[in-house]
Amino acid sequence: MVTTKNKVEQGLVEAFQDVADRLVGGAEEREAAIARFEATGFPHRRIEEWKYTDLRNMVKEAHTPFMPGGSKTLDEGVLQKALGPLSAIDATRIVFVDGQHQSSFDQLDESAVSVATLANQLASHSDGDQSLLADREATFRGSSVVDLNTALVTDGTEITIGPGSKPAKPILVVHVAQSANPAMTTIRHKISCGAGAEASLVEVFVRAPGAADAGLINTVSEVDVGNGAQFAHIKCVSNVAKTSQLANWHVTIGADANYRAFHFTAGCGLARSDGLIQFRGERSKLDFSGAFLGRDTDHIDTTLVIEHLVPHCESRELFKGVLDDRARGIFQGKVLVTQDAQKTDGKQMAQALMLSPDSEFDSKPELEIYADDVLCGHGSTSAELDEDLLFYLRSRGIPKDQARSLLIESFVGEALACVEVDSVREALTKLARTWLMEV
Amino acid sequence: MLEIKNLTVKLAEEDKEIIKGLSLTVPKGEVHAIMGPNGSGKSTLAYVLAGRDDYEVTGGDILWNGESIIDLEPDERAAKGMFLAFQYPMEIPGVAGLTFLRAAVNAVRAKRGEDELSTPDFMRLARDKASSLNIDMEMLKRPVNVGFSGGEKKRSEILQMALLEPSLCVLDETDSGLDIDALKIVSEGVNALRSPDRAVVVITHYQRLLNHIVPDKVHVLAHGKIQKTGDKGLALELEKSGYAEFGDAA
Ligand SMILES: Nc1ncnc2c1ncn2[C@@H]1O[C@H](COP(=O)(O)OP(=O)(O)O)[C@@H](O)[C@H]1O
Ligand SMILES: [Mg+2]
Repeated sequence: MVTTKNKVEQGLVEAFQDVADRLVGGAEEREAAIARFEATGFPHRRIEEWKYTDLRNMVKEAHTPFMPGGSKTLDEGVLQKALGPLSAIDATRIVFVDGQHQSSFDQLDESAVSVATLANQLASHSDGDQSLLADREATFRGSSVVDLNTALVTDGTEITIGPGSKPAKPILVVHVAQSANPAMTTIRHKISCGAGAEASLVEVFVRAPGAADAGLINTVSEVDVGNGAQFAHIKCVSNVAKTSQLANWHVTIGADANYRAFHFTAGCGLARSDGLIQFRGERSKLDFSGAFLGRDTDHIDTTLVIEHLVPHCESRELFKGVLDDRARGIFQGKVLVTQDAQKTDGKQMAQALMLSPDSEFDSKPELEIYADDVLCGHGSTSAELDEDLLFYLRSRGIPKDQARSLLIESFVGEALACVEVDSVREALTKLARTWLMEV
Repeated sequence: MLEIKNLTVKLAEEDKEIIKGLSLTVPKGEVHAIMGPNGSGKSTLAYVLAGRDDYEVTGGDILWNGESIIDLEPDERAAKGMFLAFQYPMEIPGVAGLTFLRAAVNAVRAKRGEDELSTPDFMRLARDKASSLNIDMEMLKRPVNVGFSGGEKKRSEILQMALLEPSLCVLDETDSGLDIDALKIVSEGVNALRSPDRAVVVITHYQRLLNHIVPDKVHVLAHGKIQKTGDKGLALELEKSGYAEFGDAA
């Protein structure tokens, strides 16, 4: 099949060729991946899962990939500014600036957590070994966004939380955009939360003051939650202006485990998050929730596929969005229950608060159930601010703007309440409040 | 002093007139009861006083302390000391009672040029007023009115009133849904606020409440107008004869 590539797709293939000899490790896998990308191009609206996010037409530029050593260093003060309220989280910290690991910013005082960077692994990997990238890529299913990631990945982390270990602090993986020139950042993380371990990890995406307000970041996170583990995994995208944020999470959950995921997006030109979560062990629980705040022409799409492959597991999804101006929010939640996965309990809710008649919310639940003894449900609402409640608050002397903020915050707060780590929830709440106060 | 002068009100969205030339004066220091059959416009009058924009004032005026308030926003009226205890208090999911109360108290204080209350000061005040209304502080940590019983909602309205210390209190059917004990608690709360600087308007369908909150005057509202004014004896008469005299069987 011959697909007509558009300029951007062609430009990205050329960009790969330009930097190929500077990309360390996995040459064969990278070539194969870019060939796949070249054959299919970006997903487009005629592909069902992409009908609301026509990536082929939405990625407007073939940004140059950031290469190692290309970025100026950043000082701690600037990093703090970029992090805003997130800097108050007392955490084990790993920092990537424009996609390159900056060890000088790391705060790794936890012996319970082992961290290796992908760049180092790729560099030390000898050709005879089985390829790192092939390994990592194998579980993803035919996404050309992941192909592009495989081809261009420069760095990332391998974070291992040892069996039974309970690091006291959350792990913060910070991605800061710093360059004033828009470019492309490609990162891959492999995270493993060992059997019986209890930990939380936050992937943070922010921009330093003065950084380009465009650009593309493509991240892939592979997560394995071991038997009996309790793992909280949060993604926070904030203050990233009109950049494009493409994220893929692939999560496998063992038995008797508890995985709590949260996606927070406060303003983003284009955000598409794909999550594939597989229950592979019985009696496990998943809570995948999120809050998305959009204004102007922001486009925030969360597409989740939850696969119940074994019996007795429970999944909960709660997404809440606030959309102003011409912003668009999308939530697609597919739940697959295989024939063996009896006693599955899966619930899903997506709600949006529309602050403008021009904003749009699309919610598409999809249940694919092959077992007969299951409890699955979904719901979705979109509504404007309740005028009666506004009047009630104002009749108590609360000015209109404050009354609006109170109502919006409380709406988002119901989703934020799903974040159990206090310091993280408080930081996200502050980010939401700041976003609401911007005009 | 509250002065309502030949007021006419229609629904904002429809050409339906509900208040049809209503005049009423309530001096400070007095409690006036407004009684009337269902659908006579009592709640409409209360909402219009509070500034709800579902209604449009098409004629007449409302003066509070000599100043017309009909063009003021609801929060501006609150800052001028006006307060409505709702017939149907609303539930606000996600907003904790204490957050709401504190925002309200501090907003009103700010508009009056007073400093914000510190958290400990506010908590002390809230605890004090809540205990006198038999309201558990735990209840105030929950979202405003969510899951409250009818009686709890009414008590929560009176708590808001006690905290905001308004100079005009309008109570719309605060007695409905209350058992006798709750009725006593609520009445004591209202009576505690009676003062020479405060005007109180008690809207009720039944005479019962007026045994506890004894009014200086009783007005009968029917067909969008005050039909009759008397002293507390009028309420007892109405209890016996009903509102048939005013063209309603209720
Ligand atoms: N927002 C509204 N929309 C439509 N009709 C209304 C509205 N408010 C009041 N009405 C009508 O106006 C009349 C008076 O209502 P209301 O003021 O609630 O009476 P009361 O409180 O005395 O029972 C009723 O016929 C009622 O149906
Ligand atoms: Mg009424």
